[in-house]
Amino acid sequence: MVLQARNLTVSMQSGSTRIDVLRDVSFSLAPRKVLGLVGESGAGKSMIGRVISRNLPKQFSIGSGNLSFAGQDLVGSSTESLSALLGDRIAFVPQEPLTALNPLMTVARQFVEHLDRIGVARDHQPQRMAQALREVRLLDPDRVLASYPFQLSGGMCQRVLIAIAFASHPALVVADEPTTALDVSTQATIVQIMRGLQRDHDTALLFITHDLRLAAHVCDEILVLYAGEVVEHGPARAIATAPQHPYTRALQAANPSPSGPLTRLPSLPDNMPGLAGFASLQGCRFAPRCPAAEPACHTQVPALVQTVPGHAVRCPLTDRQQAAAKPALLQTARADSASEVILEARNLSKYFEATRNWFGRREGPGLHAVRPMDFVVRAGEFVGVVGESGSGKSTLARLLMGLETPTSGQISLDGTLLDADTAETRRLRLDTLQMVFQDPQSALNPRRSVEELVTQVMESRMTRLPPEERRQRAKDLLNETGLSPELIDRYPSQLSGGQKQRVNIARALCVTPRLLIADEIVSGLDVSVQAQILNLLLDLKAQREIGLVFISHDLSVVRYLCASMIVMRHGKVVEQGPTEQIFADPQHAYTKALFAAAPPADLDHPWPPEQASLS
Amino acid sequence: MIVLSERSRAAWGRCLSSPRVLAGACLIVILLLVALFAPWLAPHDPQDQDLLSTLLPPFWMAEADPAYPLGTDTLGRCILSRLIYGTRIALYVAIVAASGAMLVGTVLAVVSGYFGGTIDWLISRAVDIWMAFPPVVLALILLVGLGAGVNKVILAIVLIDWTRFCRVIRSEVLVTMTLDYIPAAKILGFSHARIMLKEILPAVTPLIITVLSIEMGIAVIVEAIMSFVGMSVESNVAAWGVMIADARTTMHQAPWSVVFPIGAIFLTVLAFNLLGDGLRRALDGRLVQRNG
Repeated sequence: MVLQARNLTVSMQSGSTRIDVLRDVSFSLAPRKVLGLVGESGAGKSMIGRVISRNLPKQFSIGSGNLSFAGQDLVGSSTESLSALLGDRIAFVPQEPLTALNPLMTVARQFVEHLDRIGVARDHQPQRMAQALREVRLLDPDRVLASYPFQLSGGMCQRVLIAIAFASHPALVVADEPTTALDVSTQATIVQIMRGLQRDHDTALLFITHDLRLAAHVCDEILVLYAGEVVEHGPARAIATAPQHPYTRALQAANPSPSGPLTRLPSLPDNMPGLAGFASLQGCRFAPRCPAAEPACHTQVPALVQTVPGHAVRCPLTDRQQAAAKPALLQTARADSASEVILEARNLSKYFEATRNWFGRREGPGLHAVRPMDFVVRAGEFVGVVGESGSGKSTLARLLMGLETPTSGQISLDGTLLDADTAETRRLRLDTLQMVFQDPQSALNPRRSVEELVTQVMESRMTRLPPEERRQRAKDLLNETGLSPELIDRYPSQLSGGQKQRVNIARALCVTPRLLIADEIVSGLDVSVQAQILNLLLDLKAQREIGLVFISHDLSVVRYLCASMIVMRHGKVVEQGPTEQIFADPQHAYTKALFAAAPPADLDHPWPPEQASLS
Repeated sequence: MIVLSERSRAAWGRCLSSPRVLAGACLIVILLLVALFAPWLAPHDPQDQDLLSTLLPPFWMAEADPAYPLGTDTLGRCILSRLIYGTRIALYVAIVAASGAMLVGTVLAVVSGYFGGTIDWLISRAVDIWMAFPPVVLALILLVGLGAGVNKVILAIVLIDWTRFCRVIRSEVLVTMTLDYIPAAKILGFSHARIMLKEILPAVTPLIITVLSIEMGIAVIVEAIMSFVGMSVESNVAAWGVMIADARTTMHQAPWSVVFPIGAIFLTVLAFNLLGDGLRRALDGRLVQRNG
C-alpha cells in the first residue's frame, strides 16, 4: 500500500473542548490507483493532505490512529525523514496554480530549484525539464521555461505544477481541487494529463474534490466525507450510480444533470455546521439534515458497515430507505413570445482602449470585451449566458447595469431607450433591473446588518421611510428568500455562504425589479446550497414573473434554469437559441467542445475525451 | 443603544487586551487630566518669578526647596508648574493640528481614490510634490510667511502633514474600491457622496484612527521645535519648547531644567506612538490573521 490511514482522528483544541475535525478515517491506496476524497467545504477533505505535509493549523493535532506511506509512519516520523519524502516520493498539486508559483521567478528557475532538491545532475536538467513539459502537453517548453508565471494562463501554470510534481516520479501525488479554479475545457485537459502521467509512472493519486461527478470519472475508489466523518466508502462507479448513504444520495441528486428529463432538484435543509458546531452533534453527524433520520440517529454514532464487500456505509437505515418519490418534472418552457419584452439589447458592444503611458503612447492592444450582440429578455424569461473566463460575460452584465458605457449599441428597458445618463433613465434602470453579484463576501458591506443590507436601496430614496416600515420590508424579504427572520440583526460575518447569497438576492429584490442579472452567483457555493439557490430563483419566477439573465460557466445549471441561452467566446456570441435545441444539436464547434469538456452523468461515456483541448 | 457588530466587538476586545493600547491610552488620559486641571495641580503660577531662589535643584537634592518640587529656572519660575501648564499647549496643538491634517488628508484621499482618473492623478502628484520638501524647512518658510503664534503652528502642521493621511488612506480606499459592494451601492441608486460617506469611510476608519494617533505625537514634536526657535507661543506662555530654549544657557549648572521638559515630550510622543502602534495591530485585519 502506498498510503494507508488507520482510524485517523484529527482534533482541534478550542478553549477547554476538543472537537474531532476528522474522525476515525481509514483507507488504503494501492500503487496505480486513484482515491477520491469527496465532500463539501468544511468536511475535512483537505485535512488529510495537511496531515501528510505536517501543515496542520495551530490548535489542531492528531488525536489517534496513524497514517503511513509505504509502510513508513508519517505521524510519528522525524521532521528530517518526512521532508526527505515530501516533494520527492510524495508530491502535491495545489488548488490555485497562479499563487502556487513565485511570480518573481521564471518557471525555469523554480523547476531547477526542484530538480536540484531531488538530486538531478545539472547537465541533465534542461533535457529533463523539456521532456517533463512535453509530457504535460506544453509544446513549446523553451518559451514556457523562460516565462514568468503571470505570463501564462491558469491552465498552463497548473500543467507546469503537474510537470514539477511528477518530475521525481513520486509514488504518491496529492491533488487538492486541482481543477476548481480552472475553466471546464481546461479541467478536462488537466484531468487527462494527470491520469496519463499517473498510469505511465505507476503513481498513486489522492484526488480531493467537491465534485462527485468529476470524482466518479477520475477515481477508482471514493471516500465521501461529511463533517469530518467518512459516510460512504467504495468503488467509484458504485458510489456514483447507486449511492447508499442519504448524504451521498442528496449530493448526487442536488447536482443538475446535463442530460435526461429535468426534475426539480431535491435540496437538503440548512448547510453543514462549522467546526465549532461539530461538538454538539452527539449521534450521526448528518442526522440534523437527514431526511430519513430517526430518534436514535441523534444519539448514537453509527458504525461504518460493509454492505457489499468493498463498499461501506455509515448508516444503519440504508435498506429501509424507500426510493424517494419521483420529483415533479420541471417546466422550463420558453417564455410566450407574446409576453412583453423587458430588456432589448441591440448591437451592444464594449471595447476597452489600451491604457496610455505618460507620453501618450498605448501600452499593448485594446480589448474587444463584448463584440456587437443582440438579444431580448421577456417577462418571466430566464436567459443563460455561458462562456469561459475572458468570454466577456461579466462585462456584458456591467454594461446592462450601466456600470460601463457601451462603445456601440443601445439598451431598451420596458420599451424606453436608455440613450443618455439622465435622472429618469437612472430611475428606470433602478426600478426595473437589479444585479446579484458573484461573491457575497465582497458584495455585502461587512459593517451593515442584514436589515440594512436588504433594504439598502431605501436609503437612496429622497423621502425617508419610517424605521418600522423598513424593518417590516426587511422581514418580508427575508421570508421571501427563505431566511429566518432571526437573522435580521446579524452581520455578514455571522452568516454561512448560502445565507449570504440569499441576502445578496434579497437586496436585489427590494425594489421589486422585473429583471435580475446574476453573475456566477452559485459558482462559489457547495452543491447542496447551490440547489437551494437555484430552486429559490425558480420560485421567484413563479411568484413574481421575474426575468433573469443568468451568467454561468456551468452548462448543467444553465440547462436546469434557463429556457434560452447564449454561448459566448472571446466577447463574441457563437450560438444563441432555445436551451433544449442547443443541447440536443449544438451547431458551433466551440459549443460542441464545451459540451464534450463537461463530465457527463453517464459513466459509460468515456471522459475526458481524447482531444479535450479547445485552444 | 449602540449595537456593535461581532466584528467591531472583536476589534474592541483586541484593543482592550493589547498592552500597547492600554499603556498609551492610560498615559494620554493622565496627560489630558493634567492639562484640564492645571490651575489646581500647579503649586505656583507658571510665570511667577522668584528672583531670590533661581536655579533651585529638584526635591531629592541637598539644597532643594520643598515649595519647588522640581526646582526653578534662571528666573526662579517653578519648573513643575511650567511643565503642567506646558501640557495644555502640547495637547492643544496635538489634537487640533492632527485633526485638521486628518480632515484635509482624508477628504482628498477618499475623493481621489473614489473618482480615480484625472482627479486622482492631480491629487497624487500634489502629494508627491508636497512630500518632496523637507518638512521642517517647509514649516519655517510657512511660519515666516504666516507670522509666529501657536495657531499659525497648527496651520503649518495641517498644511504639511495632510499628505501623510492622503497617501496612506488613498491606498486603503483603492483596496475597498475593488470590493463588489461599491458597484452594488451604485446600482442601488446611491449618490457619489453617499457611497463615500456610508460605504467607503467606515471601511477606512480604523486606519484613520491609527494614523491620527501617530500624527498627534508628531505634532507635539513639531510644536516643541517651533516654540524652541520662538515661532510658536509668545515668550510669556509656558511651553515645553520654550522651557528647553530658556534653559539652554544654564544647562551645565542646572541640567534638570532641560531634562524635565525633554522627558515630558518623550513621554507624550511615546504614549501616542504606543497607542497608534497598538491600534494598528489590533485593527489591521491582515496583521490579526497572521498573529492567529
